[in-house]
Amino acid sequence: MVMSDIRPVLSALLRNRTGAILVSLQVAIALAVLVNAIYIVKQRVDLIGRPTGMDVANMFTVVSSGFTQDHDRLATARNDLAWLRAQPGVVAATRTNAIPLSGGGSSTTIGSQPDTPNDKNVAINYFEVDEGGLETFGVKLAAGRNFRAEEIMPPDPNSTKAPPTAIITKSVARALFGSEDAVGKVVYDSLNRPTTIVGVIDHMHGSWVTWDKVDQVALLPVTPSFGGDNLYIVRTAPGLRDETLRKVEEYLSTSDSTRMIRGVRPLEYYRDRSYLSDRNMAIFLVSITALLAGVTALGIFALATFNVSIRTRQIGTRRAIGARRADIVRYFLVENWLVTTGGVLLGVALAFGVGYWLSTQYELPRLDLYYLLAGVLLLWALGQAAAWQPSRRAARISPSVATRTV
Amino acid sequence: MLAMRHISKVYRTELIETHALRDFSLDVASGEFVAVTGPSGSGKTTFLNVAGLLETFDTGSYALDGVDVNDLSDDARSRLRNEKIGFIFQSFNLIPDLDIFDNVDVPLRYRRMKAAERKERITSALDIVGLGSRAHHMPSQLSGGQQQRVAIARAIAGDPKFLLADEPTGNLDSLMARQVMDLLEQINEMGTTIVLVTHDPELARRAHRNVQVIDGQVSDYKPYEARNVPVAATAIA
Ligand SMILES: Nc1ncnc2c1ncn2[C@@H]1O[C@H](COP(=O)(O)OP(=O)(O)OP(=O)(O)O)[C@@H](O)[C@H]1O
Ligand SMILES: [Mg+2]
Repeated sequence: MVMSDIRPVLSALLRNRTGAILVSLQVAIALAVLVNAIYIVKQRVDLIGRPTGMDVANMFTVVSSGFTQDHDRLATARNDLAWLRAQPGVVAATRTNAIPLSGGGSSTTIGSQPDTPNDKNVAINYFEVDEGGLETFGVKLAAGRNFRAEEIMPPDPNSTKAPPTAIITKSVARALFGSEDAVGKVVYDSLNRPTTIVGVIDHMHGSWVTWDKVDQVALLPVTPSFGGDNLYIVRTAPGLRDETLRKVEEYLSTSDSTRMIRGVRPLEYYRDRSYLSDRNMAIFLVSITALLAGVTALGIFALATFNVSIRTRQIGTRRAIGARRADIVRYFLVENWLVTTGGVLLGVALAFGVGYWLSTQYELPRLDLYYLLAGVLLLWALGQAAAWQPSRRAARISPSVATRTV
Repeated sequence: MLAMRHISKVYRTELIETHALRDFSLDVASGEFVAVTGPSGSGKTTFLNVAGLLETFDTGSYALDGVDVNDLSDDARSRLRNEKIGFIFQSFNLIPDLDIFDNVDVPLRYRRMKAAERKERITSALDIVGLGSRAHHMPSQLSGGQQQRVAIARAIAGDPKFLLADEPTGNLDSLMARQVMDLLEQINEMGTTIVLVTHDPELARRAHRNVQVIDGQVSDYKPYEARNVPVAATAIA
């Protein structure tokens, strides 16, 4: 298609521009919204899909709530964990104080020196676990070692003692010691009590997925002491989670009459709940975008159909004086392409405007050019697809229309 | 130039079958100016549409300029229309969104002609019809007679061998009708074969030969050889 073939199509189009301008505007708005929406969706999807470092798909939680005077929490935990760990299909289990990715958990600050100034302190999200914790979470140890059974501190409701050892994520290690090896180093809590780092985890997400330091996690060798509940996390062999979960709930519910079992849920349940708003936002934006694309396609289709129908005689005449069917199809596709392109040009400007506004209002990164390019290509394709059927219909108009219509 | 033998054309609707042409045979020699007359509904336009390859026919045979058009593809028919036939319609059929120049340009573009040659042809065709100075007017800015002259320019710009006109003066008053007729005569004199459908006996009389169509047939068809007036001689006269 050379430029000179476009000129008569364009000049005819410019003489009937009302419909074309409206559809162009629609295309422009569609492009601006589409590109920005897809960009935001992409970010949400990336956020939801970030690696957690854990074997999320094969983990589940169990809460044991004692409700009688003679309920012995520690003994129950010992029995439960022994039973859990003995089950075929269970890879590991631990008691802990909080559920990763759930939105609930504990944090504190530590420093690499005694009396570290506040702004040099590093925030950590800690999980109190036993020697099974590392394997239960399924996280990878990058350096150092796991906790030993004898290291696990008894319950200490008033935190009178700091744990002697800790395992931290690489992210915490970097924040504390830069590129130095963290294993063997000592960290200090706000009371200047020392703790020795014995292991470094490659990567692990903590409790709060919206926190920018979600990967600043520490495992502490401590028996949790809050409330009257025991919280267990269990990890199964791949594919055995649901089966094991049912079996565990059934057994633990009847094994001890001084407590009740609740909160038996896959870890995915908590993760999905935490990302619910991101997911809803993504679904909402995708729906809006699809709707907008549909309405735009409909607008293009309607304009093309209208243009074909008011030009029945003209099309017949063109056929009579030598246009092939393909020439007619091409005429309408070119005309439609001009309309779409007008909208796309305006839309690119608009998309940048909207993108810039969003980036200042919501601290989103600025719009990526690839998205704009993809959006332009998509709308071009959409326009041609929407105009295809009316163009084909135009090509089927008989040349005899030229003599038969008065 | 045109040889139709035993052509039949039936229009079928849900209710009725109309035999628009039946056993229709006609010869038109190269250079002839033939006027086709006949009552309304007799099949004149149908004949013209078949002759101009705007419609297909059911049975019979038709050769245009020596080419049997029976089995031509739609694209080939388009090409023949574009290169060999010029059409003039009762209601002009100019494209309202294009100026005069671009209107005359339409068939030339379909012929993939170079811009320089197109321009030359458009200018000379507009000069022939006396509208050289109106090239950049829109059709709506011209009178009916002028519009029909633009249509004639469009029909002859591609230098067709064959001009088909269906009541080209039907929408014009008698003065403008005569101007158009003058123009057609002038074009015929330059060698273009013309078939003109008209209701106007005065115009028909100006053609070399009158053909009357009645009820889908040429009323007094004689094979070309049997006619006493040598057509070529008439055409040259
Ligand atoms: N598309 C069609 N469908 C059905 N019947 C048709 C169609 N076109 C024409 N006819 C019928 O075919 C017959 C011949 O029509 P045609 O238009 O050729 O007549 P005509 O001689 O040109 O008449 P007029 O002088 O009124 O223009 C008529 O009876 C007409 O009703
Ligand atoms: Mg007619």
